[in-house]
Amino acid sequence: MLKVVGMENKDKSNMGRDVIFRIKRFDGEKSYWSDFVVPAQKGMTVLEGLYYIKGTYDGSLSFRASCRMGICGSCAMKINDKPRLACETQILQLNSSKIKIEPLDNFRVLKDLITDFEGFFAKHEAVKPYLIRKDDNYAEPVELIQKPEELHAYYDFTLCIKCGACFSVCPAAATRDDYLGPAAMAAAYRFNIDTRDEGRDERMFMVCSDVGVWRCHFAAECSEVCPKNIEPAKAIQKLRFQAAVHMIKKALKRW
Amino acid sequence: MDLLKWFEVRGKSLFYISYSLHRITGLILVLYLVMHLSYLTSLRFGEEIYESFIATTVTPTFLIFDILLVLVGVYHGVNGLRLILHEFGLAYDVRRPILYLSYFLVLVLWLYASYKLYVFIVGV
Repeated sequence: MLKVVGMENKDKSNMGRDVIFRIKRFDGEKSYWSDFVVPAQKGMTVLEGLYYIKGTYDGSLSFRASCRMGICGSCAMKINDKPRLACETQILQLNSSKIKIEPLDNFRVLKDLITDFEGFFAKHEAVKPYLIRKDDNYAEPVELIQKPEELHAYYDFTLCIKCGACFSVCPAAATRDDYLGPAAMAAAYRFNIDTRDEGRDERMFMVCSDVGVWRCHFAAECSEVCPKNIEPAKAIQKLRFQAAVHMIKKALKRW
Repeated sequence: MDLLKWFEVRGKSLFYISYSLHRITGLILVLYLVMHLSYLTSLRFGEEIYESFIATTVTPTFLIFDILLVLVGVYHGVNGLRLILHEFGLAYDVRRPILYLSYFLVLVLWLYASYKLYVFIVGV
């Protein structure tokens, strides 16, 4: 008898089962729900399930995905009412016979699970998320020295993959489209506390505006859903303090 | 603009639920404030009108509404202090224990205030 290596240890309960994917669709005009049966196996992710549906049942199902390992931030979507990365969410670990999948909230839906990220990235750009130096010299670049503790102060915030999960749960973003949102402000804070940076004042122009830190009401849900655990709510509260100091200094100078 | 999303708590954490409750309690307090000021304004039309209002509402029948109002006020106050603390950039890393502590404080203060109200209106 042929023996398959490892088969004897295989836990039968983990062999897999059928799971219903209930997906919110949008065809440009109307919104509707589609149900598909996916034969889920142990370790199979929601993204793999979506690829299975696209390949087997409905080629018109649209979703964004790229790296399949939680780095690109393309596949963030609402899975069972919570924004998650489809590539990092295993179907069987959801412990549910029916999985509800919707596009992210607070974004305009383009098609099915694809949302418009143009505004989200524009907000990122608006806070100047890069090192600003007064002595920039690209012809003769100089090494910028930094102590390990100075790196650790901002390192966590560099891990943002711009998936939009934080923005989708933010109640301030729900009621105002031009609100910068948690990801952009976490990026602003990350560069503000970088010891190599000299552009804090330029960045504060956006951060202190009425679309900046003052609109945050600390629902803190952004930190709860962040797949990289970068704690955007923490960055915003720290940035708020910086903004207050900045505005007081500015007022005193004018006075 | 989608104001209803403030109250969309499906799949959300206790932090978000606290935010939604803060909004709801804030709205209730604004409505109460309008009613409260209307009561005081009634004094301008005569003491009897004011007294008749008081005789209607400061009664054991209305006690349940008073107790609920105290809950709303205490929640909004305690949760507001928690938010102020965090918005100064403080104690973020212990935000979860502080959240639980604030709910515990709300419960204790509410029960104490309700007892005091009961004694005041009904008597022991």
